[in-house]
Amino acid sequence: MNGSPPVVRLDGITKRYGAVAANQDIRLDIHSGRIHALLGENGAGKSTLMGILSGMVQPDSGRILIDGQPRAFRSAREAITAGIGMVYQHFMLVKAMTVAENVFLGYPGVLLNRRRMEETVAQLARRFGLDIDPAARIGTLSMGERQRVEILKLLFRDSRVLIFDEPTSVLTPRESEHLFDALRRMAAQGKAIVFITHKLDEVMALSDDITILRRGSVIEGLATTAVTSKHELARRMVGRDVLLQVQREPYEPRQLVLRVDGLSNAGLRDIRLEVRQGEILGVVGVAGNGQKPLVEAICGLTAPAAGVVRILGEDWHRFYTHRRWDGNLAYIPEDRRGLATCRNLDLVDNFLLTTRQGFCRGPWLLRRRATRKALRLIRDFAIQPADTRISARQLSGGNLQKLVLAREFFRRPRLIVAEQPTQGLDIAAIQDVWNLLLNARKAAGILLITGDLTEALMLADRLAVMSAGRIVDTFPVDDADKLDRIGLMMAGSAA
Amino acid sequence: MNGEFFIPLLAAAIQSGTPILFATLGEILTEKSGVINLGVEGMMVVGALAAFWIAQSTGAPLLAFLIAGVAGSLLAGIHGAVCLWFRGNQVVSGLALTILGTGLADFLGTPLIGQSAPGFGPVHLPTLAAIPILGPVILTQDLLVYISLLCAPLLWVFLYKTRWGLALRSAGEFPEAAAAAGLNVVAYRWLGVLAGGALAGWGGAYLSLAYTHLWTNGMSAGRGWIAVALVIFAFWRPGRAIAGAYLFGGVMALQLRLQAAGTHWPSSILLMLPYALTVVVLVLAARLERGSEAPAALGINIDPHE
Ligand SMILES: Nc1ncnc2c1ncn2[C@@H]1O[C@H](COP(=O)(O)OP(=O)(O)OP(=O)(O)O)[C@@H](O)[C@H]1O
Ligand SMILES: [Mg+2]
Repeated sequence: MNGSPPVVRLDGITKRYGAVAANQDIRLDIHSGRIHALLGENGAGKSTLMGILSGMVQPDSGRILIDGQPRAFRSAREAITAGIGMVYQHFMLVKAMTVAENVFLGYPGVLLNRRRMEETVAQLARRFGLDIDPAARIGTLSMGERQRVEILKLLFRDSRVLIFDEPTSVLTPRESEHLFDALRRMAAQGKAIVFITHKLDEVMALSDDITILRRGSVIEGLATTAVTSKHELARRMVGRDVLLQVQREPYEPRQLVLRVDGLSNAGLRDIRLEVRQGEILGVVGVAGNGQKPLVEAICGLTAPAAGVVRILGEDWHRFYTHRRWDGNLAYIPEDRRGLATCRNLDLVDNFLLTTRQGFCRGPWLLRRRATRKALRLIRDFAIQPADTRISARQLSGGNLQKLVLAREFFRRPRLIVAEQPTQGLDIAAIQDVWNLLLNARKAAGILLITGDLTEALMLADRLAVMSAGRIVDTFPVDDADKLDRIGLMMAGSAA
Repeated sequence: MNGEFFIPLLAAAIQSGTPILFATLGEILTEKSGVINLGVEGMMVVGALAAFWIAQSTGAPLLAFLIAGVAGSLLAGIHGAVCLWFRGNQVVSGLALTILGTGLADFLGTPLIGQSAPGFGPVHLPTLAAIPILGPVILTQDLLVYISLLCAPLLWVFLYKTRWGLALRSAGEFPEAAAAAGLNVVAYRWLGVLAGGALAGWGGAYLSLAYTHLWTNGMSAGRGWIAVALVIFAFWRPGRAIAGAYLFGGVMALQLRLQAAGTHWPSSILLMLPYALTVVVLVLAARLERGSEAPAALGINIDPHE
């Protein structure tokens, strides 16, 4: 690494949550002008470590040195004052306020002059190549734009160290490219960048330094130039070979489990698609082109305004009003913390949220039996920590997703709607989820909504391309001609 | 209908609406910080009693008015302690505050019933008062009316033009974001609660110092609750609070006038008018509401360990 002293040195950081050592005696140097990637499996302690550096989490022991001086941060404010800022996985933006107001939040001045605020923000945005309208309300912005606002907040406070926790998980590929350009520009202007990610391509393409965590400890710190391929990186991270390849058995479609014909709703126009048992239909497209309303209509969250939706051979209204749908349809939502789990309930309760069959006698819940079953699933899916008494909010993002998948697959559904199922998962977990989905295909039809084309190509039997609320085309994954034109289709031009 | 009926009615609408205006502005401020305080009625009567008592014993109405604000803040402080320190349920705490406040004022005020105290009378500005309509309606009111009218733009400037206002609003919208920006969220909520209490206390003071100069029990007569409803009707905006408060003041004044004029309507129906209007207004507000008007974190306590 370069010779200059580090801006930040973490020295012996330790943090325990009950029996779990989230961070154990961690040593780490962060340098100005360099991009530092922090890697590790789900629950390795990456978010905790960066929470400590940004003042949101208090370490049990260890020192933080800024420019060689030991500093203790008791709050985010103190870290921000010291020039350390974090872009959180879940954005910390006030939706009802404008971009400029969010940037100026906490700024030490008295009177706010709207025009001056907006000009300042626009100027800052230009300097770092972050395209944004300072007068826009946050609620109207895309995820990529919101992230730019978060970055602007930090730059406005002259942060010297910018921390990103899985910044690309909510972005489209285009937006990710945008972000990378901005990160490079920031590094070139002397900022130190730390980013947490599970996408090894990004690490190889972007970072200068790499630190790998496993079970709370640093197992390796190296320069990116010392790594030859992402497979090598994966092996170093997980401790064994991960190929990120799956065996897809030939496609044998059987009876229809989902038929959508002429569905129109707010944000949807004349949607036609079919899913049969034994196949995975991958819905691809740039986020925000109707994927969300489509899923909501199929999963019973919004009623279809026009057209036919038949689930397992039954009409939408009948299916959602008359039928005991328990065990037939599984919905794996993108929003794990909001829709899929209750943050303050323990893991058994969360398991029982959608699965009550076999765990009820009359009005009584058989909690002991459910606990045993939940524990089995936790072991099978390698969810960390393996404890049913903790609440959902205490799980790391990746482990929470595994819990949701374990619960939904346990019900042996016949139709699975999976929305971004591997977002935020480490590669070992992605491999597991992919295999699980392919296995589930034997008994179920799967509608896979994903923004990750690699994932769609790996898993799907057929692809449906969405653009502007319509399905542009549906074709088998081995249709090379159409695959070539998939980018054009996503942009809306007809097949 | 003619000017002889209307002009005094409009003037009376303003007088009747002023206490509601004070209280509504206070509740807007409190709710903007993320705390809902249903104790407005209680803070108003306690403010009214404090003002009456100080005015009577010192003969200084302006001092009495200021003390009423302090009394309102003190009572609001109980709510603040319950919600911000002990993280108790905001709705329950606010209801308890109303019961406590009205009970306290009735108990302490009983010996004062029927007594009078010095207060505020109409200011007389000879040239301005001669302006048609505007003169008799607005320019011959008492000092507190002008203070209340000044409070609305001041509140707006504070909320939307100062950094403290921005911080207070963010505490009501997304306290985690405010904390991440390094702000002391709890302090801003305290500010909202205490200042809101002071404004409610002033609203009460108007009743005992300007609206009447006599003490009777149950003086606020539900105005605190109307203020709580008006906050929603006003979409949490100070400017619309003025319109809403005077609308209600108008209906209250009209109802009194109709009673005095002796219509064939039973008085109980007339008395009901302002409260029926409250229901109508709330339904209308709910229909108009585009969903994003209420502070997003309203009524949700801050857990410092999250
Ligand atoms: N507030 C908390 N209470 C209890 N345990 C916690 C808490 N926060 C984190 N943990 C535990 O600490 C460990 C590290 O969690 P952390 O969120 O830092 O992981 P991560 O590396 O960011 O994982 P992911 O890639 O899934 O986001 C996990 O085992 C997690 O369950
Ligand atoms: Mg994390």
